[in-house]
Parts: sequence; C-alpha cells; structure tokens
Amino acid sequence: MADHSSFRRHPHPFSVDLVRWLPTFGSTGRLLAAAVHDPAASSSHIHLLSVSDPSTPLTSLPLPSRATALRCSPSVLAAATTSGSLHLLPSSFDTDSAVSVPSGALFHVGPVRGLDCGGGTGGEEWVTAGEDGRVHVVAGGGDGRVVARRVWEGKGMVGYQAARWASPAEFATGGAGCGVQWWDRRKGDAVVVQCKGIWGHGIVTGMVHSIDIHPSRKHICVVGGSSGTIFAWDLRWPQQPIPLSGVGLDGTAQPVCESEVWEVLFDNYTQSSDIISSASTRILPVMMCSEDGILAVVEQDERPLELLVEPCAINSFDIDPHNPSDVVCALEWESIGVLARGRDTMADE
Amino acid sequence: MPGVPTDGGAVGTVVPFSREPGDAVAAPPVRTIRHGVAPPVSRVYVSFSSGNLLQVACLGPPIPEGGGGRGAQEVAVGRVVEVNLGGGGSGPGGADVEEEIDEAEMRRIQYGSVPAFALLQSRKNALADAAAMSRVPSVSEHAEWWQYVLEYSKTIGSLLGNPDSLPAFMIDDPKTILKDREKPTSLKASWELLEIFFVDKQLKSWLPERFVDWLADYDSLLTKTENTVYRTLTNFQKKLINLQIVEDDPDYWNGLAAALSVGWLDIVVNMLRFHGSYQLDQMDNRETENGLVEAVAVLVSTMPRMRPDLPTGKLGHCCKTRPDFIKALEKWRGQVNKLECSAFWIQCGHQKTRDGLKNLLHIMLGNIKNLTAATSHWLELFASHFLYIRPFTVGFEGMNHLAQKCIQLKPSTDNSGLTGLLGGILSENPEVVLAECTKSFGPWMVTHAMELLTADNDYADMMLHEERPNIGGISLEELHRLVYAQVLCSHSLTWQIAPTYLSSCLNQGLGLLEILLLKQPIQDNRLVLKTLEICRLYELGNVSTNIMKIGGIYHWKHGRKGTGVYWFQQAHDKVRLDRIALQLFENIGKSVTDDSFKKWEGLLELLGSDIGSAGGLEFLHRYRDFKRSLQQAQEGRTGESARQTVEFLIQLMRNPSTPQRFWLPLLHDSVRLLNCKPCPLLNVAETTLLLNKLQELSMAKLRPDFSNINLPNHALNSVRLALASNLARAILEDP
Repeated sequence: MADHSSFRRHPHPFSVDLVRWLPTFGSTGRLLAAAVHDPAASSSHIHLLSVSDPSTPLTSLPLPSRATALRCSPSVLAAATTSGSLHLLPSSFDTDSAVSVPSGALFHVGPVRGLDCGGGTGGEEWVTAGEDGRVHVVAGGGDGRVVARRVWEGKGMVGYQAARWASPAEFATGGAGCGVQWWDRRKGDAVVVQCKGIWGHGIVTGMVHSIDIHPSRKHICVVGGSSGTIFAWDLRWPQQPIPLSGVGLDGTAQPVCESEVWEVLFDNYTQSSDIISSASTRILPVMMCSEDGILAVVEQDERPLELLVEPCAINSFDIDPHNPSDVVCALEWESIGVLARGRDTMADE
Repeated sequence: MPGVPTDGGAVGTVVPFSREPGDAVAAPPVRTIRHGVAPPVSRVYVSFSSGNLLQVACLGPPIPEGGGGRGAQEVAVGRVVEVNLGGGGSGPGGADVEEEIDEAEMRRIQYGSVPAFALLQSRKNALADAAAMSRVPSVSEHAEWWQYVLEYSKTIGSLLGNPDSLPAFMIDDPKTILKDREKPTSLKASWELLEIFFVDKQLKSWLPERFVDWLADYDSLLTKTENTVYRTLTNFQKKLINLQIVEDDPDYWNGLAAALSVGWLDIVVNMLRFHGSYQLDQMDNRETENGLVEAVAVLVSTMPRMRPDLPTGKLGHCCKTRPDFIKALEKWRGQVNKLECSAFWIQCGHQKTRDGLKNLLHIMLGNIKNLTAATSHWLELFASHFLYIRPFTVGFEGMNHLAQKCIQLKPSTDNSGLTGLLGGILSENPEVVLAECTKSFGPWMVTHAMELLTADNDYADMMLHEERPNIGGISLEELHRLVYAQVLCSHSLTWQIAPTYLSSCLNQGLGLLEILLLKQPIQDNRLVLKTLEICRLYELGNVSTNIMKIGGIYHWKHGRKGTGVYWFQQAHDKVRLDRIALQLFENIGKSVTDDSFKKWEGLLELLGSDIGSAGGLEFLHRYRDFKRSLQQAQEGRTGESARQTVEFLIQLMRNPSTPQRFWLPLLHDSVRLLNCKPCPLLNVAETTLLLNKLQELSMAKLRPDFSNINLPNHALNSVRLALASNLARAILEDP
C-alpha cells in the first residue's frame, strides 16, 4: 500500500455499478459519471457527479434497465443496459438531447457489456458486443441521429462480455469461454485471429470481463477475466498469450487475486520498472480491480502493487486521463472511492 | 400453493375474496394485481422471490391439443406478475430506527459493521482454538478480550454518527447556549450506554462521570413529550433574543439551575455572564451583585470531578485518584459554604439574583430538594446524584437502588427505549436489555450488541450460548444472528453480507447459506459470478456446481447457447452436454446443406480443442474438421487435402459417438471426392468398413424409429456406386 496516497469513500444511497471520469471542459471542474441502480424503486440512472462531492448528482439520466457498460469519448457519454439498449448523452449533459438505440431484433437483446468508442474517419464510432452474440457498430451520436450497423449476428452461439477498439478498422472482443477475438473490418468484418486465453486445459475455461489496448501499442491487448486471470495477447505471437496474473499457472505469474477481475486498464502513471527494455517487448503496467476488493497494479515478472484492499468488491474503476495519479472506483457497498496517488507510488520498488 | 379461484371471478383480482359488511374494520387491505390473462384464470401460484417481491403466476385454462395454428395467434395463457410488498413498510432496518435513520443510512451501517464483526469472530475463534489446542488461556489472553470488544464497539460506534463533530464553519455567538451539533440518534445513544456499562473496564472508577457525559450528549432524546433540561434550555434560548433584563426572568434562573444540576458547567458559566451586572453602563451600584455572580461562576468552573481528563471546552477540576478527589471536594465544599454564609448577600439589592444564586449554591452543596426541583426527568435527577450527592456510587446494585428512588420522585409516562434499556442494564437483566434492543432498534442492534453483553458477563454468556430445545436446539445468539441474516437476505443490496453472519451460526447457518445462494437470480452472469465467489470462499463446491447448471439451462433456454454451454462446461455436467449435443446435431443436420456452418464456428471454438472432454459434442469437432478439409479438397484439389479428408471421414465413421443419421450425409458429401480421383483414396479395408456401415444403414432404414434426412432419393445408391467403384480400383491397386 502506498503511504502517500489518500483514499476517500463517498457513500451513495444506491448501488454504484460503474464509474468513469469525464473529460474536463473548461472551468466546470472535474466530473464523474456513475451508473447507479436502485433496487427498491427498480430504477437505473446515470449520475453526473462532481469529484469534490460525489454524493449528490448534478444531472441524472434515466435508463430503461440496469447499466452494463459505460464509456465516454471527448464528446459523448455512452451507456449500454441489461435489456440491450444503447444511450448516448452529448457532452453538454443536456438530458433532453440524449439519443438512444432501443433494444430489440434490430439491435441487441440482453446485456451489452462490450462497449467502446473509436475514432473512425467519419467521426466517432461505437462498437457494441452483447451476450446475445451480436456485434454492432453505431455511428453518429453528436447530431442526434445514430445508425447502428450489424457487423456480426452470432445467434447466441457465443456471448461477448467485452469490446475494445484498436484502430478505426480493428477491434477486439472477448466473452464466456471463447477467449479473445480480433476483428478486422477491412477483411469483411470478420474475426481474423482468435486466442483461447490461459485458463487451464480441457473444458475448463474462463470468462473475459475486460480488454484494454494501449494507444501506442495497438497490437497488444491486455485481458482480465475469471479466476484472477490477467494476460496480455500480442498479435505478433497470437498463440502465446503472456500471463500477468492467474491461479494455477506454473509459476510464470503470481495471482494478484483469486476471484473475478472485473476491469483492466493500462496504467500510465506507474512507470515500468525496466524503462530501457520496455520500449519493445515488455508489457506496460496494468491496473485491475477485482471481486475480492483489490485494486492493484500488475506488471510482467513483478510483484503486484496493491493500491487498495477493500472488504467489499470493487466493481469498476477508471484512471483520470488528465491526471493519471487519480483513480475513481465503484465499491459494492453503495459507495464511490476516490484514490489520489502520491508521488511515492512511482518510486516504490 | 396453488389455488383455484371461483368461476367468473372479477377481472383483475386473482384471489377470491369476500368482504362481509360486518367486519369492515378488521378487513385486510386488498391489492389489485393486473395480470392481463384472459379470464377465467384456472390456476394461481404464489411464491416469494428475493426481497419483498412476491411472484404471482396466473395461468389460464390449458389450450386444447392441436387447437388451430398455435404459432399464428399466440394468446397469453399465463403470466408471472411481480408484486412489491415493500411499499412504505419497514425496511431492513426494522423497528423504530427508521424515524431517525433512513434505509440507505441503515445499509451503510450494516455494511460498515461487517469487517468489525468478522474480525471479532475470527479473534474469538483463534482464542478458542488456542485454548483447545494446549491449555487454559493464559491470563494475559483472557484479560485482553474486553479490549478487543472495546475496539469492536468503538468501530461500530463511529459508524453510528459522531455527535462531537461540529460543522466546519461556526461563528461563535456568545449568546448561544447550546452548540449546534450533529443530531444525536438513539441508536448511537444505546450503543454507547451498552459500551459504558458492559465493556469499558477503564471506566470502572469514573463510571458516574461517564454517565454524566453520556447524558449531556443524549439528554434531548430522553422523552418526546415531557420536559428535560435540554428542552428548558432550548426554550430559554428562543426567549433570550427578546429579553431586556435577563436576571428578571425566572426562566433564566431555572435554566441555570437545570444546567448546573446535570453538570453542564460550561453552559452555566456562559449563562451567568449574561447577567445584567456585567454590563458596563450601569446606572446604580451593582458591584456587590456582580461580585457574587462572578464568585459563583468561579466556584462552578472549579468544581472537582473524579475523572482522568475533560474534553476541551468543558469545565471542572480533574482528580485522578480518590484521595485527591476527596481532598479537593472538601476544600471546594468549604468554599461554597463560606460563600453561602457570606455577609455580602445582604448588600445584594436584586432579589431574584440573590435567590437564584443561592439556589445554585444549594445545588452545589447537594441539597436533595433543590436538585429535585432543578431537574425534569428521573435520569437527570439520577445524574445529579452522581455529581453532587454520591460521587462514589459503584456497582449495579447501588445504581439500580438509586434509579428506583429517582423514578419514585419523578415518575415518567413517556418512556423512550433508552430508559427501558438503562433499566435493564442496571437491574442486571440481559434478557430485558436484549428485548429493549429488539423492540426499539431491530435485529441489527441485537446481533451486534450481544458481543458487548457477553464481553465480561458470565450470566449473559451462558444465557446466550445455551442450546435450547424449544427453538430447534440452537442458542439465542444463533437465533438472533439468523434473524438478522434473514433481514439482510431480503434486500438485493445487502444479501452479500449475510454469509458473514450465517457462517458464524454453527447449527443452521450453513444450511441457510446454501439455500440463500441457490435462490439468487441467475439471469445476470455478473451476479452469478458474485454468488459463485461466495461459494468459493465458503468451499461450497456442490452448491456452485448446481448454480452453474441452473444458469446454463437458463441461458440455453433463452437462446444464448454459447453461454449455456459455458456454464455446463464449468459445472462439468457431461449429461447435459450430451443432451445438448443431440439438439445441436438436429440443427446442424439442417444447416449443413445451407453451408452456413460458419455460424457454428464460435460455439465450436468455445468447446475447446481438447477432443474427448466435451462429451457428445466431440463429434461436432471432428465433423467441423471434416467439412473444412472437404471444402479445401474440393477447391484446391490437391492430393494431400483429399487424402486428409478421407482420413477424417474414416475417423468419423469408426467413432461410436457419431450418430447414425449422420452416416449417409457424410458419405454423400464425399461422393464427389471419391469419384473424381484417378487413383483410389481408400484401401480395401477402409472401403469395406464404409460398405458395412452403409449396409447397417439400409437395415436400420426398415426400423420405424429411423429418422430420414432430407437427401435426394438416389443418395444411397450413388454412395453405394461410388464405394463399389472405389473398392474395385482399390483391389486392383492392392499388391
């Protein structure tokens, strides 16, 4: 645990499922977006919160069902739901100008957990991958008109849990038992490479919960999933995923936790311990959060650095893109945690 | 519980209900449920879902078999309606707590108390293990136990609110009598009371003073209707703004006496400074009067108190040891007496000041009559005894005796939970204490307060841990924990902390935990994973297997085949995977001809490359490989791929897991390959094998259960011909 970091828990009267930093605009101060759910009223909302007082929402956007994914681009905040709809809120946060793609036969049916924004040539494009096995690319969103185009109809044969753009033409998806897929839109919107992951042998597999791709190394995915598993997948060696953490592996990686890894993100703040060789082969430090309440930074062949050990699950976290020392996380016990890392975290070890 | 409603029951109501005109008062409230099923409703099922949700399933009469196009006009023959029973009722907090603490706040307390409770339990278990392993627990270990409980008590107490926390910005108005604080809650007040009397042994010597402090914090909660010192002072505060000459108002002197009687010395001194004689623009000579007021103020602020320290802002002279205190008290009482007998009183012209100040002096001297008049509630009188009459009161018996005396002097009708709780504590009656906790604060309080009660009380320990046959052989402690766990289970946000409490219940906890886990919703994969994580922590492997199977069936039924297969695989459920394989074969049998095999690629990928472990699905893998290879062979027409395709074919035909109805399609697919090659692809033995299979198939065709696949009629013949010509060529080539 880094000594010079400060952590504050802000109780929220609802279940906080997901939390993200919002890009800052001028003098509005730093803002957070949180997907909350109130089981008593069976209502779900996206709340806009200020970092200084995350307990009271500034704006609130109602959702038809519980949010399953939340992402933001410089101009749009997007949320997907358990029923399979997509909601886009422009950066003015005027809830009247929010647009949505309803769930149904033309879009998704069931939870959509894979959601990411990519910058195509014609503006922003959102990729959605659902448990129903469908993959869509949704374009537009700024002018109030959105078009969803079906990339793949999986007919439920595979359920996707995560999606991430690598470039305007490529994205990665992951799901239950099926590992990670690399899609290339230039090759007929199809899966071009596939990786089963690093879960055991035989029929024991795991579920992928989260994928991140570093903007400067678009050929490497870092993947978090079941049984404390985190691995990196380098497209140049697609059959040899690099384990960063996992249970029951032959000593190549230490498990940072034994439960589900809900989210992974490359951590720009923690500098790689080996700066010289990091230019080519090493996997950059990765932050993760887990069901057993751990927020940690893992690095290839290094001891994981635990930032938080909470008594409840950490369901979601986000690193502030402008101030990478600041991390916000959604705790299972109806609260939002804000962690400000001190300078010493970097020098640690 | 199925029930059959009467025929022609009113549309919208599910349960037949007759309201007799006579018992309108006792009639239960009726709730109408809209179920949208066309009447008559033939069956109604009612079951509890998670939390306060009641699931009501309404089924119409069964549609007669073959009654017209079912697919075309589908009528709702039944529907499940969820009814939320929680409308305005008591939430997980239960009891009276909701008045001051809302549900979200109560949940925050529930979450926060989990780590403290778990830590205390693990310490308790560790001590018990150590005792069982070797010897009687050494004295040091035993002595530390109450300190562990105190640590636990402080952690939980801090969750209940911090009455000392002041708002960040405070402008100190000298005319403010009572400082603004966070509103105290009776939950916190009760918790502190238990901590003071049952846990904190450091307090033993200065318990009376600690009680006075407690009363200062929570005096406002004692009663809702009757007068208290707190209410006297707030009322006077309101009046103060309009008062020109304070000392002429009897409420001023009453307030002073009230505050002094319960030992709020800082407030007394502050209020004395409101006295008119302090004002600079005095017309007449009030120097003597002012001197007397100041003398009383000095005496008040130097009152000896037997306690180690005082919080900042509080007045008095602390004495750590009993001899010190007795000495200081003698001296101080002497000073008070001296002032009381002083000649200056005659020179004091203001009658009300003279009487008021003398009253204060009598209170300080412990005059029972003045104390009784100054205080309002019996607890206040009780506290004033500690301060001025019997500062050395120790032991529950003496206190209880004193309390009874005070109740007689000041009987109260409006008893809050606090007075009842104190009564139970002082009469050394843990049953009453628990009953009061249950009545006023609900299961959370009882479950967590039991640890305080048993910290150093052998009787309570025995009472709570004795196994009682009349409640199913469990102890009272376990009963209360189970009740609390049920409350937690009833809310979808708190069920995850229930296992901590259930696991501390040795007799029935584990069984209930299994039921709880199996009842969790399985629709959402993330929630299932959270449930499975709890299974992993408590090593409930068979429960998690069952949950995975249930989840698998759910997803399979809802068309998410991949997810369904995933859960079956995780559960190592070979039986269901085989069943699924059969269903998949049917689908594939159709789709292969469309050549849309690509759709299945993802699922096959999911099944893994490790053939032999996927149950009946193994066939699909070989079949996929065969199809792929066949396609390559037909496109590329290279000898190598053709040879490989044939190898796959032989493997498939040899494998007993290949369903019979795939034999002919497999062979038919290969006809072109067999025919187009100049040299035979199969040797004699292989061809014979295929011919045998074909023969077997022809025989099976005669059986009634043979399932026909949509292949052209000549398929069998063309395969036979191809095989025969291949055999001929093979024989020729065979050396």
